[in-house]
Order: sequence, then structure tokens, then C-alpha cells
Amino acid sequence: MIKVNALTKDFPLSRQQRKELNTEDKIARAVDNISFECHPGKVFSLLGPNGAGKTTTLRMLSTIFTPTSGTIEIAGIDAIKYPQEARKKIGFLTGSTGLYARLTPIELIDYFASLYNVPKYQLEERKKYLFDLLNMHDFLGKRIGKLSTGMKQKVSICRTMIHDPEVVVFDEPTSGLDVITAENIIKLIRDCKDQNKTVIFSSHIMSEVDLLCDDLAIIHKGKIKHEGTMLDFRTNMQEPNLTAEFIRIVQS
Amino acid sequence: MIFKIFRKELLDTLRDRRTLMMMLVIPILIFPITLNVFVSISASFQEEAAVKTLKVGIIGDKNSYFAQQLNEIPAEMGAKKLVFFKDSASLMTELKKDSIQLGIITEKQFDQTLASQFPAKVTWYFDATEIGINERAEQYMKIIEVKAQQNRYDELEVDFRKVTPFQTVYQNIASDKKMVGQIAGGFLPYIFIAFGFIGCMYPAIDLFTGEKERGTIETLLTTPVARWQILFGKMLVVVLSGLLASSAALLGLFISIEFLEIVDNQEIMKIVNEVLSPLFIISMFSLLLPLTIFFAGVMIPIAVYAKTFKEAQSIITPLNIVMVLPAMVGFFPGIELNYLTACIPVVNVVLATKELISGTLEFSHLALSFAVMVMLALASVFVSYRQFGKETNVVS
Repeated sequence: MIKVNALTKDFPLSRQQRKELNTEDKIARAVDNISFECHPGKVFSLLGPNGAGKTTTLRMLSTIFTPTSGTIEIAGIDAIKYPQEARKKIGFLTGSTGLYARLTPIELIDYFASLYNVPKYQLEERKKYLFDLLNMHDFLGKRIGKLSTGMKQKVSICRTMIHDPEVVVFDEPTSGLDVITAENIIKLIRDCKDQNKTVIFSSHIMSEVDLLCDDLAIIHKGKIKHEGTMLDFRTNMQEPNLTAEFIRIVQS
Repeated sequence: MIFKIFRKELLDTLRDRRTLMMMLVIPILIFPITLNVFVSISASFQEEAAVKTLKVGIIGDKNSYFAQQLNEIPAEMGAKKLVFFKDSASLMTELKKDSIQLGIITEKQFDQTLASQFPAKVTWYFDATEIGINERAEQYMKIIEVKAQQNRYDELEVDFRKVTPFQTVYQNIASDKKMVGQIAGGFLPYIFIAFGFIGCMYPAIDLFTGEKERGTIETLLTTPVARWQILFGKMLVVVLSGLLASSAALLGLFISIEFLEIVDNQEIMKIVNEVLSPLFIISMFSLLLPLTIFFAGVMIPIAVYAKTFKEAQSIITPLNIVMVLPAMVGFFPGIELNYLTACIPVVNVVLATKELISGTLEFSHLALSFAVMVMLALASVFVSYRQFGKETNVVS
């Protein structure tokens, strides 16, 4: 479960940045007083154009950024007061996720498992389950730098899920991937939903959202413009297709 | 948790060829290679100089005064051939063409002046860019002059002891160890500092800027590891790399001294071996540790701030000069470790090491140097901690 209440994030602007943006403001508000809830067994989508505040929101949820104000609850834990505890419950994956090219997949998985303090017996079980599921056995000993994009994506997925997180955060997970590699991510999101995990993912592709999500929030210039179920969105849309409706809401 | 980060980062670093080159391969090889080249070139020059026949130009013929005197100089002082000229202009022309290496021109009434027991003017011409040529001229002249002087004493029937009021002896009381410390003592810490800095540089950029550039830091920050633990784990690798590079350079130097026979004086070799004792190495590392932490602490905030590997490299590389330049103070004689110099970072480490080798180090100076370096190291770690804690620095 994720509970977000009145979340705001300001970034200080340097003199150079103020000059570039032609503003007198000393801060830039990336996220402005947003609230939403994501439930276990459901996929929540944060939809918005580039620069809307999606990544900043997800970075606050995964405690990389500290909010300026507001509250975040991750699986019942106050993520602002106890960020380390909250992080134990989160699996985080972005489309631009890099991997340590000089390590092998097995070394990388073991490393992240150790950071999450996954017990040894549980680790062996999880590794077997994920390696079988993702069909990774053939390249476990190769250096990551020598793997194909699809193989790397599988390693990223395995790394995200090794500690069996309750909450999974995907930041534009399919960005830059071909359709076959992106399919691994779509399958993962569905698996997470089936396993009753709380899933939040950001995207600016309406078709992807339509395919996967149960609930959605449309964010623009740091503010939530629409929030509700996907079913309601489809039922009440005023435009002939989902993309046109998304554009209408953003521009309203 | 720090150890887990450290172990992984070390493995990652040791698999980076560029870092390995800068951290181990170059420091180990640089001294054996450069010293080997230096010794070979120097030996070949000496060999060449020993067999080369020096051509000396003189006005007149074989009966002239200088021709006779030069012929009497023993051949052990180097082979020479006399070339006779009729006038000074042709002598100077040949000298400029290097067909002769030394030219002797005497005053017009040379023989008369000499006979009337006045100083007779002799001018030696040579090209000072040719190594050792002026020394050869001075040696020849001294032999000829001493002989002429003795002749005059005999002619005047003067006991030369009566016109020599003092029998002066300049006695150096410094031990060989102190001498080695003063001459070579500045060199050793310079090597340590220069290679320590280079050794820290690549891991610092790779583990901070590189991780940001490759997009791996974001994932690491979502794990339940405190940010300071990540920083310390990485910093330990940077410091270790610096120390490893310094040690590799020392090893390279040791190999050069032991196997290339650079030092042929057994007494000096004994001192060198004494200097490289375990106690000296421990003392040296106790000074180098805070210095390397300071280097890491200076580089990490830059590496954290920089957005690309290239940007970090372009800032840190010139910093190398600022940091390593004070280490050259060890080459200058007369600068000693005192309460003032002990407060100047880098300089204090160089001078303390120099005095450590000479055996003249005072504990209070060492303690102050150590305290200054530890304080600076702590301050730089704090700056790194602050910079690494800034959200906008860590995630691009």
C-alpha cells in the first residue's frame, strides 16, 4: 500500500538556472501538493508529459528525494521518518537503469541481496525462482557489459525483485526498449499484480497505461489533473480515444 | 554494510583496466623503466667520453709552452690530440665547427711574462653545452698551473709551506644516513604523494561521477543502506587505491635499486636498506593515510558534483598540480620541519618523511603534522559527506 498526502517538492534554483529560466523565483516547484493511494493487487499509473513531475514523485516514494512537505506511507511505514525501513519494502526499476558492467549477473544479484539483508536460504530460493522464470541460466557468469539489452533488462528485473518487495516502483520502465524487451516488463508488472504487490508506474504512453493499470493519476506541471480508476476514465472520456482524452485533460 | 559496499566497489575497481594501469602497473614499472633508461644512457655517455679523443687547438707548434705541458699530462686523464693553428681566427672557426673541442689562446708576450714571473694570461675556449668539457679544461689548467707554481717557488727558493698560512680541512660531521636523507629524502615522499594522488583519481571519478553517468547510483540509493555508508564504502576504495599506487611506486623503486645496481656504494646501499625498514614504512604510512584520505576527500566532492567523467577529469587533473607542487619543497635544501611548516599540508608530510629518513625527526613536529593532516582529512570527509548528501548532486 502507498499513501501519499499533500506531497510537495521544491528545488532551489541557482543564479545560472534563474537566468536560464528567466525567473526571479529562488525555487522551482516540481511537485505541488499531490495526494493519491495505491492498493495491493492493483496497478497504479502516474501519467503525464515530460517534465510533469512523475520521476520526482517516484524518487520521493523511493526515498531518493526528501519531500519539501507532505507525507508518504509505504507498506504502513512513514517513509520520511524511516526511509531505510521503507526502502526494504520497495523494488525500484527505471527504464534508464544502469547495471555494473564489470560484474556478472550472479555477482550483481548477490550484492543487492546482501544490501537488502536477504537471508541465505531465502536468497537461494529467490534466485532459483527468478533465474528459472526469466530464463537467465545461460548468461549468469558473463560480464554484464557483454550482455544484450534484453539480457540486461532481465538482470534489472531480477535485481528489483530479489528481496521480494511489497511495493514495486517503475519509472518509465519501457522507455528506450524494443517491443520484445518491453514485453518482459509488462509481464513483470502483471506478475506483481497477481502476487498482490502494490505497483506504481509512470509513463507518458497511453496505450501502455490502458493495457496494465487499474487506477491512474494524470499529472501536469507538478499537479494532479485527474485521479480515478481506469474504468471511470474510459467511461467518462469526452474524446474519441484515450490519447486525445489524456491531451484534453493535460491542456484543460 | 560499509564492508559490503567496499568489497563490491573494490572488485569493480580491480576489473577496470584504466584504474589498474594507473594504480598498479604504471607505478611499479615507472622506476625500473626510467632508471634503467637513465643508467644505460648515462653509462653509454661515460663510456663514450672515456674513449673519445679530445681535440685541443693551440696557436703555434709542438714546441709551444702549452703543447709541451699538455703532452706531459698523463693519458689516464682522457685521450687528447693537439691541433696547431697559426692564428686565433682559424682556431675559433674550427672550435665553432666542433672539429676541436678546446681552444687555448695565450697573450702575445706570454713567454716573456711567464719568465718575468708575472701572471701570464691564458684563455680557454669551449662550448659549455658539451657535458664535462669545462671540467676537463679546469683539470688540465690546474695540473699545468701547479707545476708552474712549483717552478716559481724553486726559482725564488721559497718553501711553499711558508706562503701557505693555513692547512684547511672541511669535515662533514653529518652521518651518511643524514646525507642520504637530505639528498634523497625529498624524492621519496614526492613519489608517494604524486602516485597517491593519481591512484585516488580514477577510482574517485569512476565510483562517483561514473556511477551517476551510468545510471547505477539511483538504484543503489533505493536500497536500505544509509547514504553515509555508501559514501564511506566507496571512499575506502579510493583511499586504498591511492595507498596501493604509492606502495607500488615504492616497490618499483626498491626493485630498481636492488636489481639495476644504480647505487654502487655499499655504505649507501646499507643505509637505503636500513631506511626501508618495517618501522620506517609504518611511520610513512601513518602520515600518508591521512594525506590520502585528504586527497580522496578533495576529489570526491568534485566527482559528486561533476555530471560527466570528462568534466570531473578536467577539474581534478589541474588540481593534481596544486596538490603535488608543494611536495617539491622536499627537493630544496634548508627547509626544515618546524612548528610553522608542520601546519602546511603536504609540505609537512614531505619534510617529516625527509627527517624520518635522516633520523632527525622530532616527535612534537611529527605529532603536529599528523594532527594537521588528520584534521584536514576529517574536514574533507565532512565536505564529501555534505556534497554526497545533496540530492541534486547525486542524481542527475
